[in-house]
Amino acid sequence: MVSAWAAEQVVAGYDRRHPVVDGIDITVRAGETVGLTGPSGCGKSTLARVLCLLHRPFAGTVRVDGRAVPGYRHRAPRELRTRIGVVFQQPRLSVDPRMTLRRTVAEPLRAARSPGVDARVEELADLVGLTPDLLDRRPHEVSDGQLQRACLARALALRPAYLVCDEMTTMLDASTTAALVAVIAAYQADTGAGILAISHDTTLLTRWADRISAVRG
Amino acid sequence: MVNELVVQGLSVRFTVPGARVAAVTDVSFAVAPGECLALVGESGCGKSVLAGALLGFLPGNAELAGAALLSSPDGPPLDLLATPDRVLATTVRGRRIGLVPQSPAAHLTPVRTARDQLEETVAALAPGERAPRARAEAVAARAGLAPADLDHYPHELSGGMAQRVATALALVGDPWLLIADEPTTGLDRALVEALVDELRRLVDDGRAVVMITHDLAAARRVADRIAVMYAGRLVEVGPTRDVLDAARHPYTRGLVDSLPDRGFTPIPGTPPLLTDLPPGCSFGPRCTRAVAACARRPALTGNAHLVACHRPW
Amino acid sequence: MAELTLDRRVAEAPAWRPAPRSRLGAGDAGRSPRLRLVASAAVLGVLVLAVLVVPLIVQLDQQVVDLAAANRPPGLAHPFGTDELGRDVLLRSIYGLRVSLAVGLLAAVVSTVVGTAVGALAGAVGGWTDRLLMRVVDAVASVPHLLLGIVIVAVLRPSLSAVVLSIALTHWLSSARIVRSEVLSLRGRPFVDAAVVGGSSRVRIMARHLLPNVAPQVLLTATLMVPHAIWHETALSFLGLGLPAHLASIGNMLNDASRSLLAGGWWMSLAPGLVFVVTTLAVAGLSGVWRDRLNPRRRSELSW
Repeated sequence: MVSAWAAEQVVAGYDRRHPVVDGIDITVRAGETVGLTGPSGCGKSTLARVLCLLHRPFAGTVRVDGRAVPGYRHRAPRELRTRIGVVFQQPRLSVDPRMTLRRTVAEPLRAARSPGVDARVEELADLVGLTPDLLDRRPHEVSDGQLQRACLARALALRPAYLVCDEMTTMLDASTTAALVAVIAAYQADTGAGILAISHDTTLLTRWADRISAVRG
Repeated sequence: MVNELVVQGLSVRFTVPGARVAAVTDVSFAVAPGECLALVGESGCGKSVLAGALLGFLPGNAELAGAALLSSPDGPPLDLLATPDRVLATTVRGRRIGLVPQSPAAHLTPVRTARDQLEETVAALAPGERAPRARAEAVAARAGLAPADLDHYPHELSGGMAQRVATALALVGDPWLLIADEPTTGLDRALVEALVDELRRLVDDGRAVVMITHDLAAARRVADRIAVMYAGRLVEVGPTRDVLDAARHPYTRGLVDSLPDRGFTPIPGTPPLLTDLPPGCSFGPRCTRAVAACARRPALTGNAHLVACHRPW
Repeated sequence: MAELTLDRRVAEAPAWRPAPRSRLGAGDAGRSPRLRLVASAAVLGVLVLAVLVVPLIVQLDQQVVDLAAANRPPGLAHPFGTDELGRDVLLRSIYGLRVSLAVGLLAAVVSTVVGTAVGALAGAVGGWTDRLLMRVVDAVASVPHLLLGIVIVAVLRPSLSAVVLSIALTHWLSSARIVRSEVLSLRGRPFVDAAVVGGSSRVRIMARHLLPNVAPQVLLTATLMVPHAIWHETALSFLGLGLPAHLASIGNMLNDASRSLLAGGWWMSLAPGLVFVVTTLAVAGLSGVWRDRLNPRRRSELSW
């Protein structure tokens, strides 16, 4: 049995009468990269949030490794939450503006009380292409590309089995996009993780994903 | 005398506690009506600062050098960098140069409808206008908006519509030059193409557009010329096809090669911090073709297709 | 090639000049923040020094009465005159400021702590807790706060702690509202979501992400609360409900001075009034500068 991450018949949104996501199924198996595309407002991000256990759906189930998820956000057990990693679209809003990059990347490790935090942070920084001098800077002192690298490092800190990239590259230039996708592909080859890549850029998804699902508006 | 913008040796630097940020260094280019120039580079390379410098939107700790001469058929050329704010506000902004900002939703007043904001801009830029409503609707139509669309508040507009409202606002004063700052961010492919085609229509109508972007595909679609910026400097300027398909600078080649429909290989390393630029060529540390001569900064040289490199193609 | 290099070197030294300032520019940190910082800090420094040092040097027995020296207008011996009991007004003002500052600081701290706790709880937990707490805030806010303060002091019998409590219990509302709205806006940001996915507990997110980001606003509110607290104490003392009459506080002195004003004693309110106004301005000046420094993005734009 290949482990998988799936949303089954999920109905979700912000107003019960007008759900943004209406009965969608999607499965990401270990080792595969699934692309998700669709016009703005079609619910891709909401679906991603449900899959990350950040948003409780009105109906439907999310399964991680075959097990149905008992709750969402803080009601989801920590071991389950940390099986998933997420990188958001806007790096500037995705980091705590008061924390250095080092602390940002270290946060999940500290929350899980992992030993050897400093060594692991250096290892992750090296993986994503962040030079050591950048780690001690604050978000307003680095560019969007460097911030997004830090966000990826943070997402991979606890070695998640599944990763969501929600428009991860929209604000990045071509070279940084290629670099981050290469890091994720290497991570996948190394750990067999399942990746959900959400993007407007169908050219990118065609090159990156194994298969693409389109959500209609 | 015709309408033209000639930028000569423009440099911008900021002094912050403990450091000096060299945001833009020695940038020179010219733009005339009927053409679209794309200013391409990664985030943090100084593109938006350049736009800010031309329009006088720099923070208090900024210093300038060089000149940006705005010529017009009537009157002597105006150096935008040496003009007081009051003159820029009353004669340049909105009237000769229009700005289509990044993330339009953040640049629209949330508590007023699009129509209100358009009419307010008409009143400000054309106080003698006797039919402001009609003029607002005409401008909106040029940006691809129907009159009914204007009665929405910014939060009710989709990303593409908000972008069109921002474009309409920029066009109210009928400026000959439009600066579009990352107009395609956050839009899906179809909307990007629609927006970029609109910009092209404006160029074909006789205006000039400077499009600041990191999206090479959008630049390919609309621009006549591309200027590539790296660490605050221009490294390559030339006709679009030439720059993208026969790039002369290693950075440009690397950038084109990292596109998903090309090699999808990233350029190794990361760009230098603007507070800490290397003494010679800024791209030197990452360049696979670097030689000893690269310790001396190369100048931008060439005819139609300029490049700043000691070993260009 | 050689000539070009020489020209390049000349061109390498550009003539820098400051950018034309936009009136509505983003980076405008005030006309001369350095001046404001230095002036405010200097004034406040002098006052605090006076408040701490003078009582050690010149002992003032608040109960001593010297009617022979009573009601003297400003002169060489008494630069701000004497009051109706013969006490030097300037000296008493300094003693008064000591009490008022202590009361103001204590009350500001207590009210900020209470307000922050309520606001953070309401913002972070949301739902019914939020609604209930905000209705409590609305209820307390609907009573004129000086009136409420008077009631509290009257119930507890006038004393230093009653005054502090009176100010604290009426002034926690603004911190609560500010903290709640900051927490609500921060909660929606992706970095909080990232922390949730990263396995952080609610408590950890509050302690490591929300509160530190709210801290600048809270500290600023607390600092701005100090002059207001002093004013409130002044008002209570003016009404005779604050500190005991013989103990110098700005409010008491202004109360006494008001009676002498009608009898022609114009100088008795001058020193305490001036001291109060100057302290307030200095505190406000410093807190504005402090707020700018605490904001990380603004800090990168400040040019000094």
